[in-house]
Amino acid sequence: MIYIVYQDMPIFLFNNPNYLPYTWLTNHKALMDNNLYANLHAEGLISDESFAKTMQREQTPALFSLHWEIRTLLYIGVLLLTGGLGLLIYENIDIIGHQFVLGLIALICAGCFVYCFKTKLPFSTARVAAPNSFFDYILLLGSVSLVTFVGYLQYQYNVFGTHYGMATLIPMLALFFIAYNFDHLGILSLAIANLAVWMGVTVTPKELLLHSDFNSQTIVFTYLALGLILIFAGLASQHFNFKRHFKFSYQHYGIHVTYIALLAGYFLFYDSFAAFGWMIGIAILSAVLYNDAFKNKSFYFLLLVALYSYIAVSCLVVRVLATAGNIDAIYLMFLYFIGSGIGMIFLLINLNKKLKAA
Amino acid sequence: MIAYNKTWLANLRLQKQVKDNVDRGYISNDEFNAIAGKYPVGFYTPNIFVRIGLFIVTCIIVLFADGLLTLMAAGGNIAETGGWAIFLGLLSYGALELMINAKQHFRSGVDDALLFTAGCAFIGGFAMFLYKTTEAPGFLPLAILVFLLTLYLTIRFADMLAVTMCCASFLWMVFLYWTKVSGVSTAPFIMMLVSGAIYWATRKYSGKKEVINYDNCFGVVQILSLIALYAAGNYYVIATLSLEMMNQTGPVAFGAFFWVWTIAMPLVYIGFGVKQKKAILLRTGLLLVAAGVLTFRNYYHLLPVDVMLTIAGVALLSIVYAIMHYLKTPKHGFTCAEPDKVNALDHLKIESLIVAETFSHTPTAPANDDAKFGGGDFGGGGSSGGF
Repeated sequence: MIYIVYQDMPIFLFNNPNYLPYTWLTNHKALMDNNLYANLHAEGLISDESFAKTMQREQTPALFSLHWEIRTLLYIGVLLLTGGLGLLIYENIDIIGHQFVLGLIALICAGCFVYCFKTKLPFSTARVAAPNSFFDYILLLGSVSLVTFVGYLQYQYNVFGTHYGMATLIPMLALFFIAYNFDHLGILSLAIANLAVWMGVTVTPKELLLHSDFNSQTIVFTYLALGLILIFAGLASQHFNFKRHFKFSYQHYGIHVTYIALLAGYFLFYDSFAAFGWMIGIAILSAVLYNDAFKNKSFYFLLLVALYSYIAVSCLVVRVLATAGNIDAIYLMFLYFIGSGIGMIFLLINLNKKLKAA
Repeated sequence: MIAYNKTWLANLRLQKQVKDNVDRGYISNDEFNAIAGKYPVGFYTPNIFVRIGLFIVTCIIVLFADGLLTLMAAGGNIAETGGWAIFLGLLSYGALELMINAKQHFRSGVDDALLFTAGCAFIGGFAMFLYKTTEAPGFLPLAILVFLLTLYLTIRFADMLAVTMCCASFLWMVFLYWTKVSGVSTAPFIMMLVSGAIYWATRKYSGKKEVINYDNCFGVVQILSLIALYAAGNYYVIATLSLEMMNQTGPVAFGAFFWVWTIAMPLVYIGFGVKQKKAILLRTGLLLVAAGVLTFRNYYHLLPVDVMLTIAGVALLSIVYAIMHYLKTPKHGFTCAEPDKVNALDHLKIESLIVAETFSHTPTAPANDDAKFGGGDFGGGGSSGGF
């Protein structure tokens, strides 16, 4: 028994002249842990009670958790199934007929939601854990097929006529309802992406970077509005204590979209005086988010605020230096980036310290 | 040997181990603080977000500092030589040693960035030296130099990126040498032997007292050697290489053997992973199942892709459901409950972000009625966005 090993542990371990942490490094994992806690106990660093508890745990064999493997496989399963069904319908639409396709999607969708409504835990404004991992992915499958169903209806039967907004509004509202009702962060993110689609833009990073066109005023203002809505939704979730753990998703998309919209606006109006209005917008946003990040002790959002603000300041500095337009200005620019970079290092280190102490 | 303070590394391991039991509620916070006071860690190691921030900012500094120096040196003709790149690499390396020894940075983002930039500059310098002339000496000398460099960086800094490069360049070096000396046809077997030997050695020596500071590197090498072992016998890899290097088309010699290897090896990995309860074997095996299936589909089209995806999805969901049902109460030391350790990245809620990225191409109303049926936009997963 492992405990006997501890009892038999030769006394020299306790008076070992070698540095203590090394003496625990035997090649047998269980033995190593035991030595560790036996030594800490002998040194009076942990109480008898804690020692007994850890010893008890060492004696029960450790379980190997397949949690993340199972979740990943479920995710891939849903991905394959929805992708496969989508293709199947597309390829065979002439053979199997629209009613059959609609019926099939509706059946899958209904089946998923029946399962979810039956197994879900009661609604609460606080966080509600999923009853099991399977639930999350069945809900995802149901939601994706619901959105497909509505899209298909509109495409084939034009149920919303020319009110194209309605065809995206309804899935979006449904997704928000599902996200809140079943407390599912992934579907909340889907709903946010659909909100963007409804407004005529996109929020996921890949699309944002690859396919966005920031050269039109409407798009920049739409993005700005979307970003601000998301940030306020995040703040409101926390303020009203209604699903406050949803704040992260709102804030994450909101912050990126708002900053990118403000920077895009700055470059869109680069030659007019209005450009500085956008910069002032960035300053205000940074101040608000900085306080919020401190209040919530969020390193991630603090980092985003610091980096986006740095980009904004650098844009201004480069602009000033570019107007000079000679070789000295180029040297100055290099020196600016080196100096400001070092400054940023100290800033990040200090902010981290301050946030930890706060 | 390793640049970081070894006593602190040992204390850090100790603190991490105790911390797990603090999270489980077996050891109180006061006790942990007493232990941390007795076995202090003096490294500067911020959380992952600060680390990312410091990494980005340090890369910017190095980039512009190197740019400024190059600009100043541009008058002479040294700035285009490999020696200049190596000089810049040495500057980064000097800064790295300084930050570690004087400022006690350990995985802080600053040391990661300096190591990264130093490595890139050195490799760039080697390449410029070797391929300056028109008659290229092949890739073997570069592979050897990269291997030696990254081996040194691995031993000195126990960095995961360095060890990845080290392992990859070693395999590359062996492959290039063998094909030069003895031809392509026997290369798969040699690569199998070498990568198998690497895996065996890392399993044998990981966790030993002498190399305890390199635990993370051993994990990386295990993953890479398992993938290399599989790739060495994968039918597609062999067919492609024999086409590229010997202009040989048509079926590969020993085709049956390689097909068995392609299909069976992932299952062997999974089997051993389950039997030995090794996460690396199990996860690599699961990943390689996908590689095996893709290879098979590349040559044999038994079913149309849509039917196959659908069947695979249903089968996967059913199998996983069965496993979850079976493991409702832990059996044979396995459980599907969440591990009791909290991962720092959990704060990022990565899963929800991935869901949004992959499923968000949901159908929207077509802009005009005569638009063709929006190819692949229905159903989302894996299809490209046409809207």
